[in-house]
Amino acid sequence: MTVQELIKIMGLTPLSTFEDREVKGVFISDMVSDVMTAAKSGNLWLTIQTHKSIVSTANLADVSAVVITGGKKVPQETIDIASKYNIALLSSPLPTYTLAIKLHELGIEAE
Amino acid sequence: MSDCQHHWVMTNVKYGFVIFEKCYHCKELRTYFTEDDSLLLGDEYREGEHFYNRLESAQSFTFDLICTRCNRLETFNDLIGLFYCTSCMPNCQVEKLQQQYAPHKTWIMVAFGVLPDAKKNPIPQAKLDILSDYFNQRRDTTRSRIKIVSFELIADLARCKGGFIHDVGLLTKEGPSEERKPLF
Ligand SMILES: [Zn+2]
Ligand SMILES: [Zn+2]
Repeated sequence: MTVQELIKIMGLTPLSTFEDREVKGVFISDMVSDVMTAAKSGNLWLTIQTHKSIVSTANLADVSAVVITGGKKVPQETIDIASKYNIALLSSPLPTYTLAIKLHELGIEAE
Repeated sequence: MSDCQHHWVMTNVKYGFVIFEKCYHCKELRTYFTEDDSLLLGDEYREGEHFYNRLESAQSFTFDLICTRCNRLETFNDLIGLFYCTSCMPNCQVEKLQQQYAPHKTWIMVAFGVLPDAKKNPIPQAKLDILSDYFNQRRDTTRSRIKIVSFELIADLARCKGGFIHDVGLLTKEGPSEERKPLF
């Protein structure tokens, strides 16, 4: 499944401009150090963090998209950097737990 | 010389804090990594002719890389953190590299050495290349690549508004977040 397909199915809101790509598994963490050390290329990253570091982290870890859960407001600066690096920054009003269950139902699992 | 086609993975990951201090006499900047969170509440202190003041502290981590094929260990205790450029200075070499590499979908990240030592002894380019290799080996390089460069390329540290990749808001000892000023 691609990021664009996931946006439609899950009702996610895209915040940045990005190139579509395949989603491979899910990674849940609110620590960028966690993502830097353990996330895998293509993972969908679920977090409540919205600060600028998440974009460079997503870039280095090569995740397919970052989903900001719980409808948290994302600073424009974070969105702008995401667009610059082609990082898919998405938003969901659902809490992380609910979103994770829905991903599980779609067959997208933690690896 | 090894003819191993190294395949790097992270090892010796340590979670802790990066501390930034500046001497208010000579403006010398000092950075170090510590796992001891009691150091987060540091006061001004004197060391020789220097009077160091805390500028900032940030949650971060350190790591080494090891080759899964030949077990070669490459230590990175001279790396204080990875830094992203926000294109704040048009004449900055980092920004020029970004513009040069962006059409090739190669993203530039800046490696910061431990200050002040790194000003005299910067992290060798060969090690930065290993770091680039590591990040490229764990990504889909048909889409994009990573290139790690040295912080010495930053035109003017005192005006740079780039930022360290670090964790935010997960500790009670952290002060309230505010808009970041240039660090140096
Ligand atoms: Zn090797
Ligand atoms: Zn001094």
